[in-house]
Amino acid sequence: MGEASRFCHFRGERLLEASRLTKIYRVGGEPVYALRDVEFVAPQGDFVVINGPSGSGKTTFLNLIAVIDRPTSGEVYIEGEPTSTQSEGQLAALRKTTIGLVFQSFNLIPVLSAAENVEYPLLLQGSERSPRRARVAAMLAEVGLSELARRRPSALSGGQRQRVAIARALITGPKIVLADEPTANLDSETGGAVMDLMRRLNEEHCVTFVVVTHDPAVSKYAKRRVRILDGRLEEGGDHGMVDSAS
Amino acid sequence: MGWWIPLRSIWRNRRRTVLSIGIIALGTAVSFFVLGFVESSRRLIQESTVHEYGNLQIGSPDLWNGTADSYDRLIPPDAVAQIEAALAEEPTLVGSTVQLQFPGLLARGERTQVVRATGVVPGNGVLEFNDLVFIGRGLAPDDRAAILIGRSLAEKLALSPGDAITLTLTTVDGAYNASPFTVAGVFRFTSEAFEQQVVFMPLGYAQRLLNTPGVDRVIASLSSLEATNPARQRLQSALRGASLAVDVKTWDELSPFYRQLSSYFSALFGFLSAAVSILVFFIILQVLTLAFLERTREIGTLRAIGTTRAQVFRLFLAESAWLAVVGSAAGVVIGTLLGLGFNAVGIEWRPPGTVEPVRLAVQLGVATAAVPFVVSVAATLLSALFPSIEAARLRVVDALRVE
Ligand SMILES: Nc1ncnc2c1ncn2[C@@H]1O[C@H](COP(=O)(O)OP(=O)(O)OP(=O)(O)O)[C@@H](O)[C@H]1O
Ligand SMILES: [Mg+2]
Repeated sequence: MGEASRFCHFRGERLLEASRLTKIYRVGGEPVYALRDVEFVAPQGDFVVINGPSGSGKTTFLNLIAVIDRPTSGEVYIEGEPTSTQSEGQLAALRKTTIGLVFQSFNLIPVLSAAENVEYPLLLQGSERSPRRARVAAMLAEVGLSELARRRPSALSGGQRQRVAIARALITGPKIVLADEPTANLDSETGGAVMDLMRRLNEEHCVTFVVVTHDPAVSKYAKRRVRILDGRLEEGGDHGMVDSAS
Repeated sequence: MGWWIPLRSIWRNRRRTVLSIGIIALGTAVSFFVLGFVESSRRLIQESTVHEYGNLQIGSPDLWNGTADSYDRLIPPDAVAQIEAALAEEPTLVGSTVQLQFPGLLARGERTQVVRATGVVPGNGVLEFNDLVFIGRGLAPDDRAAILIGRSLAEKLALSPGDAITLTLTTVDGAYNASPFTVAGVFRFTSEAFEQQVVFMPLGYAQRLLNTPGVDRVIASLSSLEATNPARQRLQSALRGASLAVDVKTWDELSPFYRQLSSYFSALFGFLSAAVSILVFFIILQVLTLAFLERTREIGTLRAIGTTRAQVFRLFLAESAWLAVVGSAAGVVIGTLLGLGFNAVGIEWRPPGTVEPVRLAVQLGVATAAVPFVVSVAATLLSALFPSIEAARLRVVDALRVE
């Protein structure tokens, strides 16, 4: 299990849990087992990196725990609550408040400026204008983008875009941030900076991160490593980056 | 939610937005222009109809239910006095007069014409047919065997002022009466049928010919067209209170020609407006379907970060609503400019069945613009409905996978 950081005291909660998670796609009538009986637990403050080759089921797994997709069987628990019985609206509310998502290709809204992209989840929550603006400014400062707040995504570099996306994922103060290949569209240096940022935010905000990647270099940022192969999850054993508290 | 987000999205693809707004605007402008034209034509015909019939006519029910040849329909002088007393209470009344219409045969030598002879009060100031006289003179109150004939009839019977003609008629007692007349003047009117079939003579003389003190209708002129129906209701209840067996008819009830033309105009505009709306509907449907399809990934992202289906639906519908409102408003502006241009040029046209050319105009203004505006907005929103529902129904993971 991952250690608690200096700022983030591990409370032993099963913040995110998957039980016997199975996903079967049907391709031309033939079943494709993307995930088989996956068991997974992440406590608060964890930083999990899930590694695996292409087609091993990483995206499938992340989508299921992000509650944007439903499993064929098994259950995803968020803060101890089962999700399979929840309605679309309840799942949307979970994604709005509890889960933040970071995508491989950033997925910023092209017509909104960096600041507006970060602001959008707060608009969804209907929060008031002046505290909202203040929070956006603080968040942008945290990811080092205060100067570029008014720029559109098309006028930002890949690394800058991903930092906007991370700010967007964190703005509502979620307990969990899930990232699918966040560095795949970045060069290794920029990717490293993005991972550094995520790790720092993990420490400072005590947010649980689950990052899936096929890039072995990302593993060194992990508090805990997990491997996925042919739809089966196995603990990676050894720890990654040395925790700042130790 | 930020109301400006849909506006931003609209602005993203400017060419497509301008195209959409242009199509909506064009449709609205065409509808507006045609409606403005139809309404101003309808107004012209309303005015000439009221000029012919007055706003209201009060007469015996027999007068209008097909038994018009019977002189039972005549209203005796005491009843006329009662009707006039009721009319005097009407706030929108401008004036009233009486008429006595009867069928007759006008003859000059070999040539004859069946006419509707009309005894009028010359100088009544309400339905002043003397104003229509353009050759010769009008009728004077002390005229006796003087008659006004229409231009078409004058041509047909080769008559001019001063000529003598004979009018044959049946008196109220059933006797034949043939009376010589002198043509005092020739009038013109917008309707050719009216010019051929209607002749005017002083009421006193008509009553003497028919051997009656009665009239067959009281005609009321009101301050405006719009005053007609309320005045009719007030008058009807007043007359019922006085237990007079008379009906009150409005100008549009009296003119089958107006009713036909009016419903033709409505059908014309309805058809055109429907055709334009359907066209706008399908073009905008096509444009929005494509536009929304291109944003599948964006929709997936919005949903993934917590936007509900309903919010996605509203977002996309709001974008279309902006298009609809801006496009339709632009259409009203374009239609107004077209109309102003058209009115400035001043085109004249002689409608079928009429003798006087009328100046064609387009009625502009808010009241006329309202229907095309609302119809265009509705057509656009309707075409946005299906793509917006589709956008909202997308499965998040599928939408996110789209490149
Ligand atoms: N919608 C789908 N329909 C059918 N099969 C699918 C679908 N999505 C994924 N799969 C299959 O499920 C398996 C796991 O796919 P997944 O996308 O989770 O892999 P991944 O580990 O994310 O791969 P990559 O590293 O290339 O992104 C693959 O065999 C893939 O072909
Ligand atoms: Mg993947």
